[in-house]
Amino acid sequence: MNNIHSLRFFWPESVLTVAVLAMLVQDLLVRRSPRRVGLLTIGALFWLALTALATWRTPWGNFPIFGGLLVHDPLRIFFAWLFLAAALLTVVIVPRSKEISSARLGEFFALLFALLLGMYLMASAADLLLIYLSIETVSLVSYVLTGFQRGRRRANEAALKYVIYGGVASGIMLYGISILYGLFGTTRVAGEGGIGAQLADVTSRLFLAHAFGGQPAAQLALVVAVVFLLAGVGYKIAAVPFHMWSPDVYEGAPTPFTAFLSVGPKAAGFAVAIRFFFAAFERQLPGGGYAQVGDLPWPAIIGIISAISMTLGNLTAIVQSNVKRLLAYSSIAHAGYLLMGLAAASTAGVQSILIYLIIYVLMNVGAFLVVIAVSRETGGEDIKDFRGLGTRAPIAALALVIFLFSLTGIPPFAGFIGKYLIFAAVVQRGGFWNVLLAVIGVLNSAISLFYYARLIKAMYLEEAIDQRPFRVPAVYTGVLVALAVPNSFLIFYWTPLVRWAAAAFGGSPSS
Amino acid sequence: MAEAVLFYLFAAGVLAGGSQVVLRRNPIYGAVSLVGCFFFLAGIYVLLSAHLIAILQVLVYAGAVMVLFVFVIMLLNLKEEELGELRFTFWKVVGLVAVLATAAVIAWRALGPAYPSTGPARDNAILLAAEGFGGVKAVGRTLYLAAVLPFELTSLLLLVAIVAAVVVAKGKI
Repeated sequence: MNNIHSLRFFWPESVLTVAVLAMLVQDLLVRRSPRRVGLLTIGALFWLALTALATWRTPWGNFPIFGGLLVHDPLRIFFAWLFLAAALLTVVIVPRSKEISSARLGEFFALLFALLLGMYLMASAADLLLIYLSIETVSLVSYVLTGFQRGRRRANEAALKYVIYGGVASGIMLYGISILYGLFGTTRVAGEGGIGAQLADVTSRLFLAHAFGGQPAAQLALVVAVVFLLAGVGYKIAAVPFHMWSPDVYEGAPTPFTAFLSVGPKAAGFAVAIRFFFAAFERQLPGGGYAQVGDLPWPAIIGIISAISMTLGNLTAIVQSNVKRLLAYSSIAHAGYLLMGLAAASTAGVQSILIYLIIYVLMNVGAFLVVIAVSRETGGEDIKDFRGLGTRAPIAALALVIFLFSLTGIPPFAGFIGKYLIFAAVVQRGGFWNVLLAVIGVLNSAISLFYYARLIKAMYLEEAIDQRPFRVPAVYTGVLVALAVPNSFLIFYWTPLVRWAAAAFGGSPSS
Repeated sequence: MAEAVLFYLFAAGVLAGGSQVVLRRNPIYGAVSLVGCFFFLAGIYVLLSAHLIAILQVLVYAGAVMVLFVFVIMLLNLKEEELGELRFTFWKVVGLVAVLATAAVIAWRALGPAYPSTGPARDNAILLAAEGFGGVKAVGRTLYLAAVLPFELTSLLLLVAIVAAVVVAKGKI
C-alpha cells in the first residue's frame, strides 16, 4: 500500500506526534498558572484519550502499509492498547509523586508521548531500518527520563550508564543488521522479497549458500547476525547478558518512570522479537500453525537466554536490600519467563506471552506504585522502610502482598494464569529440552517466592521505628484497588484474555 | 582493473586510519586519523557509484562532525601524564589474536573459491546500477517516496533529542 493510502491506518501515530508538540506548547502557555499541574495532567489525559480513540477507530486488517515498512495487523493493535494502559497509569501516578517537580511536568509528558510513539512503531515495524529507528527513539527518550532529576547523583549515574550500555547494544544491533543486509540484499523482514520469503524459497537459499562459500559459512553468518540483532532487543527487554543496566537505571530513575520502563519498553521489545522471528524464520500453515523455514536454531538460542535470565535474575534478587533493585532483578527474571513463551515457537507460546504481558502490567505497575507511596512518606526505598507497613498503611500493604504473590505465580492470583499458560505452551511443544526449560521455570518461581516473602515479612512481622499511620493519596489508593482487584479475581473469568490474545496472533493473513 | 587498484588503495587507507584511531595514545592524532579514514571511505563510496553519499561523507563527517570532536578534545586539553601508559594486558593479546584470526578466515574465504568468476551466481551477485544511481535526484526520489516514513521519523527523533538535551542541560527554567 502506498504512502498516502497508508495514512488511514496511521492515525494513532499521527495523533501522538501532534501530542508531543502540543504538550510542549501547553507547557509554555500554562507556565505561570497556579493550577498548572492540574491543567497539564488534563492535557495529557486528553491526548491519551484522543490516541485511544484513533487506535479504536483504526480499521481492522492484516496487510503491509507504507510499502512494507510497517505491518498493520491485530498484533499491532493489541500492543497499542497495552502501551496506552501503561501510559495512562503513569500519567495518573506522576502528578502526586514528589520525584517529578511540577515545574518540569510538561516536558515529562511531552517526552512520554514521544516514547509512546516509538513503542507504537516498534510494535508494527516490519523493516530492519524502522525497527532500528523506533528502538532508538524509545532508548533516547528513556535515557533522558531516567536522568530527569538532575540534582541527584544516582539519577545522573544511572542515566550515564544507560547511555553507554545503550550505545554499545545499538551498535552491536546495527552490525547484525548490516550482516543481514549483506546476506539478503534487503532490509525487509516480512512480505515479498523479504528475509522470510527468501529463506522459504529454495533457490535463493541455495544462492545464499553458494555466495557465502558453502552452507556452513552462510549458516554461521546468519546465526551471528541474529545473535547481534538480539543484543538490541534483549537490551530493551532486559534479558541476560544485556541486563547490566537495569538495576542501576531502575534505582536511579524517578519511580513512576521506572514503573513505566519495566512494562512498556519491555512489551515493545517482545513485539519486535515476535514479529521478527515469526516473519523471518517461520511460515504460516493453512491451519493457522507455524512451521520453521531455514535451519536456524532460533528457539534454542532464545531458550538458553531465557533459562539464564530467570536463574540469574532470581538468584541475584535474593541478596538485594533496595526494593527498586529487587524489583529490577525480578523484572530480569520475568523477561526470562516471557522468553520461554517465545522459545516454544508456536501460536500458543506467543498467545501466552501476550496474556502474561497484560497481567504483568497489572502486577508490576502496582508493586512500583506501593514503592512510590512508601518512599513518599519514609524517603527511602529499602526493605527496612517497609517495616510495619501492615499497620501503617493497611490497604497499600495488602495490595503489595497481592502483587507480590501474583508476581510469584501462586494461585489464585493472576500471575498464576500467565505462568501456567507459558509453561503449558513450552511443555506442549515437547522434547527433552523444552520440558527441561519448563522445569527450570518452575524451580525459579519457587526461588522468587523467597525474596518476595522477605518483603512481606518486613511489612507484617517486623516493627517499624516510626509507627504512625501515613496517608496514601486518594488517587493512589484508587489505582491500587483497581489493579489489585483483577489480580485477585481474574482466575475466575479469564476467557476474555484468551480470546483477545487469540484474535491478536494466529489468525490467517487476509491479503 | 583500475577499479580494483583504487579499491585496494582506499581499503588500505581506511584500515591504516582506523587502526591508528585505536592505537594512538594522543586523542588528537586519533581524531586526525579518523578524518583520513573518512576520506578514504568516501573514495570507496565513489567506487560503489554512491556519489552523493561520498560528498556528504566528506562534508558532514570529515568536516562538521570531526571539527566538533577536535574542539572537545582541545577544550579538555589533556596533559601528557593524564594519557596513561601503554600496557599489554592478557585481554589485549586475546583481542589481537581474535582480530587476526577473524581477518585470516575472511581473507581465506574471500580469496578462495567462494566467489566464482563466471556463471549465473556471479551474474546474480553483481547488480548493475541503474541510470543516475547515487546522484542527488535518485537519492532524493528514494528518500521522499520509498523511505519517507523513516525520514520523517528521523526528523522527529532529532526534535526529541533537542528537547531532551535542553531538559538535561538547562540550568534554570
